[in-house]
Formats: sequence, structure tokens, C-alpha cells
Amino acid sequence: MKPATLTIRVWDLPTRIFHWLVAVLVVFSFATGKIGGSWLEWHMRSGYAILTLVLFRLAWGIVGSETSRFARFVRGPAAFFRYAGDIVGKRHRAVIGHNPMGGWMVLFMLVLLLTQASSGLFADDEIATQGPLAVKVSNALVAKMTAFHYYNGWTLIGAVFLHVIAIAAYWMAWRDNRVAPMWTGRREMDGAGTQPELRATWIAAVILASSAGFVYWLVVVYPRG
Amino acid sequence: MKKSALAAFVVLAAAAIPTVAQQMKAENQVKYRRAAYQLMNLNFSNLEAMAENKKPFNKDEAARNAEFVTLLSTVPKGFFGEGTDKDTRAKPEIWKNRPDFDARMDKMTNEAAKLPAVVKTGDMTAFKKQVHDLGEACKACHDEYRAKQQ
Repeated sequence: MKPATLTIRVWDLPTRIFHWLVAVLVVFSFATGKIGGSWLEWHMRSGYAILTLVLFRLAWGIVGSETSRFARFVRGPAAFFRYAGDIVGKRHRAVIGHNPMGGWMVLFMLVLLLTQASSGLFADDEIATQGPLAVKVSNALVAKMTAFHYYNGWTLIGAVFLHVIAIAAYWMAWRDNRVAPMWTGRREMDGAGTQPELRATWIAAVILASSAGFVYWLVVVYPRG
Repeated sequence: MKKSALAAFVVLAAAAIPTVAQQMKAENQVKYRRAAYQLMNLNFSNLEAMAENKKPFNKDEAARNAEFVTLLSTVPKGFFGEGTDKDTRAKPEIWKNRPDFDARMDKMTNEAAKLPAVVKTGDMTAFKKQVHDLGEACKACHDEYRAKQQ
């Protein structure tokens, strides 16, 4: 007899909003960055929003819901290689939250987003647009940050492609829909599964507001001083 | 009277640049084109700030910036002689695809030349568009012929 399916609330609302906002903003940032000209103003605003969201997500990775916490999903090499072995051996393992490989990818993408948004603050296109902190550091550093911002941007796009390919592969290989849970927050599990502890949304709102306040200070108040 | 004399001088000076530049050693060609680019950057950044409402639009100030940009935009083309890529971010492709490089350079100069008149009308929509178009023309060359790192 087929075991009864169990509906589990995998992703909390803040993590889902974070995910989809970042997805949209990354595409927008990439496009406006490549078009350039006056669109760079929007590129910068988008970057500030991404920085705000990533700072929020890093904090949420410490005090947030169980499935969003780094301590839960960033796993050691043993778990990583066991899971990788399962993938190579075409064995499907349903995991609540990030799997041991995906967890590293999440961390990697967060680092890429953080370094990309931060380096942009110091960048200068040497036409008419400068990041808000470019005036605060040496021109040698500005040149380094501008070049880094360019190359790191392509690394980020590469990581996004890899991420999307992985999601598509789960669907094609096992009909495992990873998009729906990130949208609805819920996932059906066959048999056993423990409901992860989800934190209240208002805590996330407070963290997000603090994060936004800090970024506002960093890009508007501090450069004036 | 004084202004037209200045204008005449400027036109003559700009016309004289390519002949002077051809006889100039590579290091100095780089020096002068950089000087022109840096002053364009300074003036154009101010126009961009006004176009993006980061600072209030001031017609006199903008007109001055626009005149500088227009004039300075004619300078670099004559200072890209053979062998002037050494210790710069200029890509060797410039000299392989010279007609394309020159076309992009002329496009930039043409867009810059439209700026002063647009500023004088005070039409913010047209001003913003022209600032954007010039920025695009600058970028078109940087994307293709300027290395990200030296």
C-alpha cells in the first residue's frame, strides 16, 4: 500500500519573498548593467535592494526558520558526497529544505550576490556613473572593484544558470517539482517527514527594516559625510 | 565678438590636433587623450547628475558642461596613433578594426555635438535622452575596444 502523503510547510514566507525578489532583481540588474547609460541609475537602485535582501537573508540564516538556517543546511563533506553519489547513481532522495549539495549552492550564490552588490558600491564606469562609495576610496581600488564587478557578474550569471538547470533536472529525472514549494511554501512528502519549525514573519520584517536602514545609511548618508 | 573669436580659435585648434598628434610620441598621445577623457568624464558626470535629478538642473552650468563635452569629444580620435596601446587599456583591435573604431568615435562626437543645443532649450525630456544617447555612444566603444583591466 502506498503510504499516505504528508503536506509539509517547507519554506516560510520571508524566504520565498526573498527568493523571488532576488531572482527578478538579478535579471533586471544584469539587463540594466549591460544596457548602461541612464539605466545605470536603476541598476544601482536594484543593487541596493539586492544588498538589503542579502543582508536580511544572512541574518535569517542565523535566526530564521529551520529550513532557512545555515546550521541546518550547510552540511559537511560526508553528507555532500553521499548525496552526490545518490545523484550520480540516479537515486532520488526527497529532502525537506535544501539538500546537502544545494545548500552549498545557496551559500555560494549568497556570497556572489553579496560581493557583487558590495563591489558595485565602489565601481565607476568612467563615463558618467559612479557607485556611492567610489569617492571614499583610492582610484586604484575603484579600478579593481570595477573590474571585479564585471567578472563576478558573469560568475553570478553562471551560478544562476547552474541553479536553474539543476531545478529543471529534478523535474525531468524524477518529476520532482522544486518550483511549486518555493512559491506556495508547501511540499507533499511520501511517508515520514517532520514539520520544520518556522519563525514568525514579523521577526523577518524587523530584520529587513534594519537591513534597509543600514543600506540607506551606507549609500545615502555616509557618502555625504 | 570675444566669444566668436574664441570659437574660431577652438575650431582651428581642434582641426590642428590630428596633424600635431601624428608627430607626437606615443606616450604623449596617451597623455593628452586621457586628459580629454578625464575632463569629459568630469563634465558629463555633472550633466548625468542633473539628468537623474541628483542635483537641480542649472541651465548655465549645464551649458558650460555641454560645451566642454562637445569640444573635448573631438580630441581623442587624433591621439590613437599606432603603438599607443602600450600600458593602457586600449585593445589592439582598435588598429585592426580602425574603420569601425573611427565610426564609433564619430558617433560619440556627433551625439556630444547635439548636447549644447538641447541644454539651451531646457527641455528635460530631450536633455535626459541626449545624455543617455551620449552615454550609450561612449559605452559602445568601451565595450568593444577597452580592456576591463590593464
